Amino acid sequence: MGTFRMPPQIVRLVLLTIAIVGSYIVARYFLTPASFGQYGWYRGDALSELASHDPVFAGKKACEECHSDEFKKLAQGDHKGLSCEACHGPGQAHADNPDVKISISNFSPCVRCHEFNPSRPKWHHQINSKTHYSTGEKCTECHVPHNPQEVP
Amino acid sequence: MSQRVTRRSVLGQIGAAVAGVVSAAAAKTAKAAVQRVFVSSGAPKGYDPTQHKWLMCIDANKCIGCGLCAEACKRENHVPQGPFYRTWIERYIIPKPKPGSGDTRGEVQVDSPEGGMHGFPEPPMPKDEIEQSFFVPKLCNLCHHSPCTQVCPVGATFDAPDGVVLIDPKYCIGCGFCIQACPYGCRFLSPVTKTAEKCTLCYHRITRGLKPACVEVCPTQARIFGDALHPVPDDPVQDFVRRNQIFTLKPQLGTEPRVLYANIDKEVR
Repeated sequence: MGTFRMPPQIVRLVLLTIAIVGSYIVARYFLTPASFGQYGWYRGDALSELASHDPVFAGKKACEECHSDEFKKLAQGDHKGLSCEACHGPGQAHADNPDVKISISNFSPCVRCHEFNPSRPKWHHQINSKTHYSTGEKCTECHVPHNPQEVP
Repeated sequence: MSQRVTRRSVLGQIGAAVAGVVSAAAAKTAKAAVQRVFVSSGAPKGYDPTQHKWLMCIDANKCIGCGLCAEACKRENHVPQGPFYRTWIERYIIPKPKPGSGDTRGEVQVDSPEGGMHGFPEPPMPKDEIEQSFFVPKLCNLCHHSPCTQVCPVGATFDAPDGVVLIDPKYCIGCGFCIQACPYGCRFLSPVTKTAEKCTLCYHRITRGLKPACVEVCPTQARIFGDALHPVPDDPVQDFVRRNQIFTLKPQLGTEPRVLYANIDKEVR
């Protein structure tokens, strides 16, 4: 009985398999990000990358730092729940540099919230702007937006 | 067969060991160099996602349909122009039944013109034909068992430890499976980046201690945002859960959303 010799086609197949699997392992070693698997089956750095965008809205606290008078006035009336940026528009650019003014075009008009719409809940103060004040003057003639109870 | 320790064999083994150490070090350096080129990130650190569990609560009875949330979301997250929304408002109109039809209510109509971004026009029917009408703000439902994560073939979308379902834009191949999988229609394919996009709960804001933009601008506190792991004194989320009967959308799917609704009609889906 002669000694067993591995058939050459099997040797070639084994070598080829080792080469393919080996190159996959090498590529995986070099290309898998260090943070992959940090929290789960995904790239952990994706979280901090998504967190690295810059905000556009500054938040009510940032407004209070300079505009504390308006802030106190707002806290007394029915509009106390409103954020400054709800009506005035995004203000991060203004908070970073006070010289950059918030455009008046970003201002949300009163009727955006207070125009009558049958879908709106009944507790909410609503008007019909066509009949509410027929001469069509500005809301601020009779109402103070920062404190709706106050008479100007 | 005996093996003799010779000078030649010892020197050979030492040489192999040195070559092994040097090549391992070289491989590490090469790996770092490769990753600087392909997978680098200059992102800030300092927020531990394992220490938070974010929640969003929505009181539908407080929503006045002003659309400030949807507009703020577009601005804050630079969402592409067109019919792409990370959060939007739906208007439900339930008409009175037709006389003699025997029904208790008419067919429900749902609309959301421009995601409600610029408010809502007059309803398409006279006021006295409406039985009931209300607004429902919608956003990513922050599913505990998120179908979108399960179908992603490349691991680009994932449930972050803080409860937010996020998309890694560098891994997303834009196949759109997740958009089909989301039962709440909260995802879209961005025409700019050609990748899937969705509500991130304003991840760049909540990691800085700010509220999401939609919560910030909501004039009636219809949206309440908080951390389940760190309740603050008089926590609005705890208060909301205690005072209201809580609903989630499509509970039969078993997705266990972490967006909690109160005062919604059974027609809302």
